[in-house]
Amino acid sequence: MEYAEQKIEEHRITSQPFYLPQGDEVVIARAAYRNRLPLLLKGPTGCGKSRFMQYLAWELARPLITVSCHDDLSTGDLVGRFLIKGGEAVWVDGPLTLAVKAGAICYLDEVVEARKDTTVVIHPLADDRRELPIEKLGELLLAPPEFMLAVSYNPGYQSVLKDLKQSTRQRFVALEFRYPAAAVEEEIVQTEAGVDRELAHTLVKLAAMTRNLKDAGLTEGASTRLLIHAGRLMTDGIPPRQACQVAITEPLTDDHEMLAALDEMVRSLF
Amino acid sequence: MDADAISERLRRITAPDVLNEWELEEQAATVAALPEPLQDEVLRHYQAIWPVSHGLAALFLHHLPQALTCLAPEQLGDWTKAALAAYEQHGLRGADLFLAETEKNFLCRLRGESALPFAAALPRLRPYVHALAGPLHDLDLAPATSAATDTATLFLPREIGLFKEERQNFLLYKLLASLLWAQVASGTYRWAPAPTADLIQEVAARYGSRPDEGLPALIAYFRLFPQPALAEELFVLTETVRLLALLQRELPGLMRDAAALFPLLLAQRPPFPEASDQASVMEQLKRHLIGETKVGDANNPAPPALAAAGELLLPLARAGTTPADTAHAAARLYEIIAALPGPYQATPPLPCAISFRPAEALAVRTRRQHEEKTRFITALAALLPSAASPETGETGEDRPPPAARHQEADTALLLPGLAETEIPRPTVLLGQGLETVTIDNQSLALPPELQRLGQRIAADLGQVPPEYVAAAAGLAGSSYHPHASSPITEEIVIPPTPLTYDEWDFRRNGFRKDWCLLHEKEILPTKGTFIETVSRKHRGLLLRLRRQFEMMRPGERFVRRQRDGNDLDLDAIIEALADTQAGQAPSDRLFVRLRRDQRQIAVVFLVDMSSSTEGWVSTAIKESLFLMCESLAVLGDTYAVYGFSGMRRLRSELYHVKHLDEPYNDLVKAKIAAIAPQEYTRMGPPLRHITRLLTASDAKARLIVTLSDGKPEDYDDYKGEYAIEDTRHALIEAKNLGIHPFCITIDQQAHDYIAHMYGEVNYIVIDDVRSLPNRMPEIYRTLTG
Repeated sequence: MEYAEQKIEEHRITSQPFYLPQGDEVVIARAAYRNRLPLLLKGPTGCGKSRFMQYLAWELARPLITVSCHDDLSTGDLVGRFLIKGGEAVWVDGPLTLAVKAGAICYLDEVVEARKDTTVVIHPLADDRRELPIEKLGELLLAPPEFMLAVSYNPGYQSVLKDLKQSTRQRFVALEFRYPAAAVEEEIVQTEAGVDRELAHTLVKLAAMTRNLKDAGLTEGASTRLLIHAGRLMTDGIPPRQACQVAITEPLTDDHEMLAALDEMVRSLF
Repeated sequence: MDADAISERLRRITAPDVLNEWELEEQAATVAALPEPLQDEVLRHYQAIWPVSHGLAALFLHHLPQALTCLAPEQLGDWTKAALAAYEQHGLRGADLFLAETEKNFLCRLRGESALPFAAALPRLRPYVHALAGPLHDLDLAPATSAATDTATLFLPREIGLFKEERQNFLLYKLLASLLWAQVASGTYRWAPAPTADLIQEVAARYGSRPDEGLPALIAYFRLFPQPALAEELFVLTETVRLLALLQRELPGLMRDAAALFPLLLAQRPPFPEASDQASVMEQLKRHLIGETKVGDANNPAPPALAAAGELLLPLARAGTTPADTAHAAARLYEIIAALPGPYQATPPLPCAISFRPAEALAVRTRRQHEEKTRFITALAALLPSAASPETGETGEDRPPPAARHQEADTALLLPGLAETEIPRPTVLLGQGLETVTIDNQSLALPPELQRLGQRIAADLGQVPPEYVAAAAGLAGSSYHPHASSPITEEIVIPPTPLTYDEWDFRRNGFRKDWCLLHEKEILPTKGTFIETVSRKHRGLLLRLRRQFEMMRPGERFVRRQRDGNDLDLDAIIEALADTQAGQAPSDRLFVRLRRDQRQIAVVFLVDMSSSTEGWVSTAIKESLFLMCESLAVLGDTYAVYGFSGMRRLRSELYHVKHLDEPYNDLVKAKIAAIAPQEYTRMGPPLRHITRLLTASDAKARLIVTLSDGKPEDYDDYKGEYAIEDTRHALIEAKNLGIHPFCITIDQQAHDYIAHMYGEVNYIVIDDVRSLPNRMPEIYRTLTG
């Protein structure tokens, strides 16, 4: 399929993404890949799950197809569907089928957001069968050894209704991601945002303060991603207090009192 | 109006109570002296105040002429409301104080020039402190006369009004809170005499005093000096220098902002001319702390003592200093100052100074250490394999009787390794960083909660003392339970604190603040035949209801002719092809999509449990509730059931039958059966409470269905128009928050008032009580269909 071949090339990661390992996750992920085991990444938003996948895809030299799951995601959206083109019904592969055919890494981001009946289609792919049935075509695709399935979810804030089913969970090698240790996080912020050591240190300190408020007014503390955003704004000449306000405190909450309190923290640190 | 007409109006307002004739005349004269257009308005306010408090009404008129000198006539209404609020918060005396100082208490506040009260700063300050302190220090905030901490609570002034702008006053609050946090975090109170034993010896030798063992370390230290007050003040001053430097490093933004405050504080500081040299150097040091750079001038050069003091204080600003360094510096400083001519007079404290409470801190620390120790030992012991397990060969008979075991275990806490040698104990080692524990050479990860606890203990004591671990090992070896002998950890059941709710007073067109107390109560479930009887009686109806409600259940369905979807819509494609053949533009809606309907409904049934429902009414309500719950169990809507009753404003009661998130089960059924008539019907507080509960729900449609048999009424003056207006207002508040109220009533006279309360279409009057069980599920279906 020429169409697919062309498309898959767009998913190749050509330059090395910046990634600082928090622990043994890279070693484990390599071993999982060699043994054809799917990966489950757990962790709060913005702590580096997606970046880790990019890094892994680069290292393994496989294309990476990312699907952001949502509650209207149907099986057809993953596997593929018929479309009408010039009076003819044409089959178009979905991202999952594309990844299986090309031996790529398929990464389902925030998989709990998808409906439960949709997540079931990955079951035969995620165990030792490694096959993907395409009902509408009457086909059964066998995944090549290069193919890898990875899913991510944030156990922190989703409601109980959106918990991952045991039958889904128990097919994966699970890696837990946390916010990086302060020194590592400083280095990440420094590299990604181009700020100096001292500013990175203060940003990480602010993040630690907001994380202290998790479940005490905030549903989640400031993620590494937010710190990088703030740092980039600062590098671009936005004054630090303002950069923190627009990139950290305002995205965190809408509660006015909490915003005022967060603002006080920013004003204390910068 | 002339005085006579006014007297007449006053008489009518105050009836049936009567005022003294002279009082009446005096009040009428006050009103008569007012300009004509104001008189009527004043009398209206008087009328609103009179039923609240007769005394307040008199005070209102008494202070009015004075107040009108600075009040604009259109501010009169707000002024009256503020006075009523002051009365409700602080009583008649408080209202008197408020009314007497209109300028300060009312107008300044209107202009935003008033002091910032603690309560107003708290919402911002609390998260700030929590974020700053982190999980290691669990700090609370409380108002007090001065800023201080006992390491568990940060005490802050009741209000700060040193500056004109609210922002500046808040900044001082923030600075004080940060200083107190620094005090806790940098271990001011952890300073034990041990590391500075030589200093204590030195000071004791110099002044010929002896340390008092019975006192907290710091107090004992101050007492070593001939002038303990001076020693304490110097210590506070020196420590403040150290803590401010720490804040400068940790929170540079805060200190930059605070630097702008210091000149203002300096300008406010009263001159201190007639002072001895000792006091004057102290004062200069304090001024220096808040940024005074000018020391001395040509006529009056700076005393050499001050320069020496400055040199002593300088090293304290460096990173890595400890409270022990403070103590050293303070002792040197004491020598310098005590050498100057006295006497020592205390100078006023700095507004940004924090005071010391070593005794309280010690008490808190002892209590916390004890609690943490018990918790740590119990939690760790729970991790350890029990040494008394059958493999070790020990049987129950070999064990000492329980009482003896307790004693032994207690001894084990004190003397590890001596007691209980006959019981084989695992060897337990805590890993580095408190992440693991090694038991008999087996490494085990510590659960995060225990890790945190261990870290807290280590932060407090330097390390987790080995005897804690030994005690845990001993505890795992015996079945000793520390809770059995330790009264501190006994659980005390605290009754839930009542919630306060405002009440609407239509006469003054304002709220009575925190007027009602709502108590949440449990209904004791009864075992009886009620549920069985009802199920039998309404068997046919139940079956029908189940079928009807099943049909309303959310389902999945295919919607055809969509632009995008899961599958092709064959009919649409054929049509489109035909259209193309016929030369018409084909439709692009060629897909089918699966759609799931969700009933996102949360409904609260609020049942009137007043005494008037006694008998048939109560039974009918219970039957209909049961049928309703059975039907809803089929449908799957979220719902709650509460009953309400009470007597007077301080005892409004809400009976819990089923919460929104609680499953429907036999216990709920038994509680429905136990619903029984109680006292009166004060509708406002339960409605406001339910509104609050429902606001937290994220359902798309939120409903309050009230089951009632009459007008709202309570034992006190909550009746008639007042009660109806308050209920109406509570319902309006609910509607404003997107909650839909509905009333099912059996009161035949309800048409007179209920439309006014609920709105034209939001109620239904049931003619025959007996038909209620039949009608209610039907009403619900129409409501939510």
